[in-house]
Formats: sequence, C-alpha cells, structure tokens
Amino acid sequence: MKKVLYLFFVVSFLTSCVAVKEYEKVNINDPDMVLAAKKSNKFETSFQVYRESASGANGGKSGGGCGCN
Amino acid sequence: MNLSNKNYYLSTLFTIRFGNHIAKKKSNLSKIVPLIASLFFFTITFSQEQDNDDTKDYKKRVLENIEIDFLTSYYTQDGDNAAVTGGIGTEELTDLASEIVISIPMNDDDVLSISAEISTYTSASSSNLDPFDSSGASGGDDDDDDDDDDDGNSSGVTGSPWIESSGDSRKDTWINANVGYSHSSDDRNKIWSANLNFANEYDYTSIGFGGSHSWLFNEKNSEFGISGNAYFDTWNPKYPTELDSYLEANQNLFNGFFNAIEILDQNGNIIDKSGANVWRPLNTTLVDDTSRNTYSVSLSFSQILNKNAQISFFIDLVQQEGWLSSPLQRVYFKDRDNFYVGNASSISNYTSPNNRDVFQLADDIERLPSSRFKIPIGTRLSYYINEIFVLRTYYRYYTDDWGISAHTAEFEIPIKITDKFTLYPSYRYYTQTAADYFAPYEENLSTQEFYTSDYDLSDFNANQYGFGIKYTDIFTKIQFWKFKLKSAELKYSHYDRSTGLTADIISLGFNYIFE
Repeated sequence: MKKVLYLFFVVSFLTSCVAVKEYEKVNINDPDMVLAAKKSNKFETSFQVYRESASGANGGKSGGGCGCN
Repeated sequence: MNLSNKNYYLSTLFTIRFGNHIAKKKSNLSKIVPLIASLFFFTITFSQEQDNDDTKDYKKRVLENIEIDFLTSYYTQDGDNAAVTGGIGTEELTDLASEIVISIPMNDDDVLSISAEISTYTSASSSNLDPFDSSGASGGDDDDDDDDDDDGNSSGVTGSPWIESSGDSRKDTWINANVGYSHSSDDRNKIWSANLNFANEYDYTSIGFGGSHSWLFNEKNSEFGISGNAYFDTWNPKYPTELDSYLEANQNLFNGFFNAIEILDQNGNIIDKSGANVWRPLNTTLVDDTSRNTYSVSLSFSQILNKNAQISFFIDLVQQEGWLSSPLQRVYFKDRDNFYVGNASSISNYTSPNNRDVFQLADDIERLPSSRFKIPIGTRLSYYINEIFVLRTYYRYYTDDWGISAHTAEFEIPIKITDKFTLYPSYRYYTQTAADYFAPYEENLSTQEFYTSDYDLSDFNANQYGFGIKYTDIFTKIQFWKFKLKSAELKYSHYDRSTGLTADIISLGFNYIFE
C-alpha cells in the first residue's frame, strides 16, 4: 500500500515537466492510446463488479447503483 | 521563476512532502484523507498557474455531431458455490444486456449525454430463493416466490440447491437511465460535468448523482481530475422462502407454509414440531434498514510521458452505509443442527450435484457490517509501439475495512491489421483475499456477529482471456438513413475463477454519427 502510494506521487510529479507539443501528439491521440476503459468493455466491467470484491479506480463507477459488492 | 522552473519546484516540493509523509505513515485510512485533501488543494493552485498555455487560438467544438452508441452483451456463468443456497449449489446464470448512449452537442462547449440500459437475467441460483417452488423442484402447483404457500403439502414437496426453480426470482430485469452534462472552457483546459442516475430491479432501487472537474495544463500534457458521486439506494428485500414463511406464520411450524410440511433432521427422521429439537432460524429480525448509500470521491492524474507513451493514476475513496449484505443469501452454521425438507435418503448426498430432491432449511441470511470503506488505486499505461502495435496496461490495488485486499493486472495489445480493422487480444489476472466474515457452507459459527458464505467475498484468483475485433471508418462511408457508422466492435472473453466458477461474455458495440 505504502509503495503504491509513493509510486503514485513520485511518478506523477516527476513526469509533469515533460511537454510534448500538440503537433507531436499524433501517436498519443491514437484512439487505442486512450487512458480509460473502453466503452465496449462496459458490460465486462459490470460482471466483474458483481463477481469480485474490488471495483473502482478505473475512471468509472466504484459502488452504488446495484445490489452487488 | 520561469514556467519550467516553477514546474520543477512544485514537483520537487510535492515529492518531498508526500514522499516523506508516506514513508512515515501507517497504512491507516485516517491519514490518507488529509493527504488527498492536500493533493486537491495543490492541484487547484497548480492548475490555475498553468492555465495560460499557448493553445487558446483555435476553438474546436467539443463534439461535432450527435453520436450514438449501441452496446449489447450476452453473459453466461456456472459454478458450484451459489450464495443464495449458502455456498453450495448451482451458480448458473445468463444475462442479456443492451445500452444506448446518445451524446448531443448543445453548442461549441457543452455536451448532453443520455443513456438507457436494460439487463435481463435468468438465474438458477436466485431461483432458489424458493427452492420448493411448485413448478420447479417441488413439483406442486404454486409458481411464485412468495410466502403464501399455505397449502404446502408434505407429499412431493422437495427442493435442491442444484436444480433451477421457476419462481419470480428466477429472472429479473434491471433498468438504468443516466443523464450527464459537460461543459468545457474556451481554452479546453477545464471541463465540468454533472450526472443523474436512476436504476431499478425487482428488489432494489437506486438514485444517484455526481459531478466532476478536470484541469489540463502543461500544454495539455498533464491532467488532474476530481469527481464525487453519491448513490441513495433502497432494498425491497426478498428473503429465502422458509425464513419469510416462518415469520409470517408467527414462528409457528403448524401454521402457513410449514403446516403440512414434514421437516427432517440430519438422520432423515421426521421431527416432532412440538418437540424441543426443531428447526428455528437464528434471528427473527431480517432487514431492519433498507437503505444502502454510497459516497465516493475520485482523483485522477494523467501525464504524457513522451510522444509514444502516457500514464494515468486513479484513486477512489468509497464509503458505503446501510444494509450491505444481500437479503437473498442463506447461511448455514456449523454449530447448529441441520434440518431438511424433501427426500431423506438424499441428505447424505446433500452437497453433491446428484442431490435432486432435498433442501436444507436456512439458519439465517448473511449478516455483514453496516459500513464499508474501500480504497482502490489504479494506474494505466498506454504505449504506442509502432504503426501496428499498441500496448495498453492496467493495474489496480484494492483494500477495504472488511479485510479484503485485491490486485488486478490487465493488458491488451491492439494490432492494426489494416487501416480499418484492429484486433484486440487481452489478458486479465485478478486475485483477492477473503473478507473477515466469509466461511464456506456449514463453517460459520452462530456466535459470530457477521457471517457470509458468498464466494464473491472469498479468497480466490481469476484469469480472463479476451479477443476482439474492431472496424473503424473515419470517413463513415457506411450509412443507414442518417446514421453513419463510425466503428463497430465485437469481443469475446472467457473467465476462470479458482473457486470453480466459469463465465463467458460476448459484447457487440456500434458507434454512429447522426447527421
């Protein structure tokens, strides 16, 4: 837990100095590079929320709305 | 101090401050909350100072056209540890779900999103809320799940955790509607959004709302986001039929459902209902608080690392309160005598799928604490390998105050085989420890305050293998009336859990532009 939190903050702030210009973001803007769960994975994520105890931290719902875990 | 120096100064300050903080802290939750509050405070300051970048010249519409997404999936599972029947019994379930999402540009800056989802399941497991259902295992003539089986007949009344019954709880429909609205600033560096949510199924209703705010800075190389959501849910509790009937008959085994039912002991002998050793549930109070509220705060940070890689971090703080256990789920205690209804000769074979005609009466429904605090922390890394391959990875650590900790690791490698078709092989690994209150069938003790035999709260690991294919056409040449197909995706995944549960899901999605 401590290591994960530490990594979270260290990596976040050390990398914030990098600046890629807009015209250099061709690869970054590729639809498959998106930093979020894909829309088409929604139902998969939904069954995982039911069948597993862990949820959240994926940019989506982290509880509520169903009688699941 | 120029911009880059200021970035470095702030980064170093944060690193030192939080690095030291974390190094000293114990892993208790009370210290995480002020940490997150500090992060939020600095985030605001930081983002405001960085807001004046050089990307304000051109204002592009956030969404050019109305977009419509159709998603549908078919899910099926099976296993031998149904929670409704106390940790043994068939977990067979199928679910068909569909969703439509409509995104409407209201002006250059604002987008309205409306979604509706319907999910219909058929479940052998939940059908055994009433395993004695007439047209199912019991073979009688009443097909509901209710407790009005006053004419219960000892002859032929049977049940089994391994056989699907046919009452109302056998199938259900879950509906969900969501309305969201987002606004982006002129420079597209700030995004606000709000949403309203409603969901309903036969034993559960949910109303939720939330909001979020994102800041982009560092020439849109960095992004902070914060969001909050609240769900106010309500159970319309349904109980195992023997418990519900027992309470409705004023705890009298000569009334109601039990009137003409013969109850068997562990040896298969018919018990004397007026004797001392009779079946009685542990508790005569079932759900006394039907609310189940969830409050969550989420923080995210994304960073472009270089021209080919970007990373994001997420952390959620989730507090749940109310009735957090499921009223449907039975528990059988190790330290209480067992009682059955059905065929006496099958009792010795009770936990085998070969048992088709005897059912054990519940000792209680599962009981879990009325609050739960969850902390999931996740990270995503996307790396553009070359024009053909992209690597997408995800990792999540999860912990809560029920004693569960979990790790999730996932990767996907999109492979662009042509300019229109992409393949998506993927793999996901998941592992979790058991909740403090979990024990298998007949292993909980009645002296415990909390107990469950729900294997979703057990110690297990799971592997998931997936494969998808996506068609993309940026020129939207395929058109149906005013709907222009932008993309279509088909995906199949297989899921194996170490408890024996297996699942398969196939999903199909279409993205249209409406003009």
